[in-house]
Amino acid sequence: MSHLIRFSLAALLVATAPGCGKEPYEERTDPTAAPFAEFGKRVGEYVRLRDSLAEKMGPLDQTKSQAEIAARATTLATLIQRARDSAKQGDIFTPEVAAIISTLIKSEYSRRSDSVIEQRDDAQEEVPSFVPAVNVLYPTTYPLATFPATLLPLLPPLPTDKLEYRIVTHYLILRDVEANLIIDVMPNAVP
Amino acid sequence: MNPRTSIALAVLAAGWSAPLAAQTRTTATTTSSTLALPLRANSVRFAVIGDAGTGDKVQNETARQIFNYYKRFPFTFAIMLGDNIYGASRPQDFAKKFEQPYKLLLDAKVEFDAALGNHDDPNQKFYKPFNLGGNRYRTFKKGNVRFFVLDSNYMDPEQVEWLEKELAASGSDWKIAYFHHPLYTSASRGPEVELRTILEPVFVKYGVDVVFNGHEHIYERIVPQKGIQYFVAGGAAKLRSGDTRPGKGITDVGFASDRSFMLVEITGDEMFFQAISRTGAMVDRGTIRRRIGTTPPKVTGVKPAVKPPTKLPAKKPAATAAPKPGS
Repeated sequence: MSHLIRFSLAALLVATAPGCGKEPYEERTDPTAAPFAEFGKRVGEYVRLRDSLAEKMGPLDQTKSQAEIAARATTLATLIQRARDSAKQGDIFTPEVAAIISTLIKSEYSRRSDSVIEQRDDAQEEVPSFVPAVNVLYPTTYPLATFPATLLPLLPPLPTDKLEYRIVTHYLILRDVEANLIIDVMPNAVP
Repeated sequence: MNPRTSIALAVLAAGWSAPLAAQTRTTATTTSSTLALPLRANSVRFAVIGDAGTGDKVQNETARQIFNYYKRFPFTFAIMLGDNIYGASRPQDFAKKFEQPYKLLLDAKVEFDAALGNHDDPNQKFYKPFNLGGNRYRTFKKGNVRFFVLDSNYMDPEQVEWLEKELAASGSDWKIAYFHHPLYTSASRGPEVELRTILEPVFVKYGVDVVFNGHEHIYERIVPQKGIQYFVAGGAAKLRSGDTRPGKGITDVGFASDRSFMLVEITGDEMFFQAISRTGAMVDRGTIRRRIGTTPPKVTGVKPAVKPPTKLPAKKPAATAAPKPGS
């Protein structure tokens, strides 16, 4: 179902883009396929990099020491920041995939009731007032806004427990879960 | 029509799929530190603690009260409903907001089984005393009870798929789910309707019996919904004073004038529950007889008619020794 919604919305997006409609008999394909494949490739490249850095530190098992957990997160974040010191906005959220994801999110919001929108706004209330940026730590003393449960299935899947989507005001961010590091940001993605 | 009456009629009309026939009576009862649990042999006993991690005075007072009850009701584990550590997550915060308040219980080898809240660093999954085993969500079994610990902050499709698989494999055990955000509540921030559209059909399909949630800083026993008994118990340290609305028709019992926690005992097909305030007063108690086959479940609750006191009694010498679990 979520795929169907995604396909329909993306098809609409592509059909209304400049230059479209010139070849009416062209075979219909999923217009999200190529941008999402590219997105998946870039996510994969990032995960290979962060995994190679995490591997150097050895596996983190459960521990009674919060100091050990915090130290590992800090070290991993520092290693990633150094390895990606030239990373910039849009490296993973390419303009093509950003246009599709933004359309999906806005369309999904438009189908939600006022009470749901209000609840999503409430979830942002406790989030720090900051402008998220690539290669910056998410502020550690503030909560992460709960991600809308019905929106998540519409977005391209991410490697479980390594990367996640989060919303910060009108931004969609990609966050490295263990390192607490912002990997990419998409401004104006969320109404 | 009274909502409970309509639920009961729906049960009669629909056979099972049916919501609980909740039968709640209100009687005058004591508000003293009465233990209302039967302490049966080999029962599964646990405490329910939600939104506890402030490290402030009232968290410590509530924690002491939990330990006072523990001495009479030795439970072997405590489930935490998220927001286990508010604010900073430095090592000293874990000490102040968890290890020190619950030291007596930890010393008594009580196991803590945490769910993650929106204020929790997801890396808490590596913190051994929370027993998440490095996972955001997990399942564990105690006696004839299967628990499902969910991460409601990030309900990705993989988690839902995992839940369905685990529920399907859980056989005839009691099925109890717990996670941070409530699917039903009368509190001002309101229920997580989006999450409900995803989780409720799964809970109903696989016969989840009871759900515990936090997030709202109150105690609330919800009128059973589609055969499931929901509790909101997010008041173990924070409080949203007066934030229950019994007139909305979904609250059987609400308590929002002090901090609170719950004690639960399950034996056979019966679950006994008691909600207790920071001062030790009983806030709610009752029994849930779970559904068996086509026989719908039944809830009998007793709400104290007397308002619980909000002042602690004069201090007694601090307790130091804990009884052995199961004694």
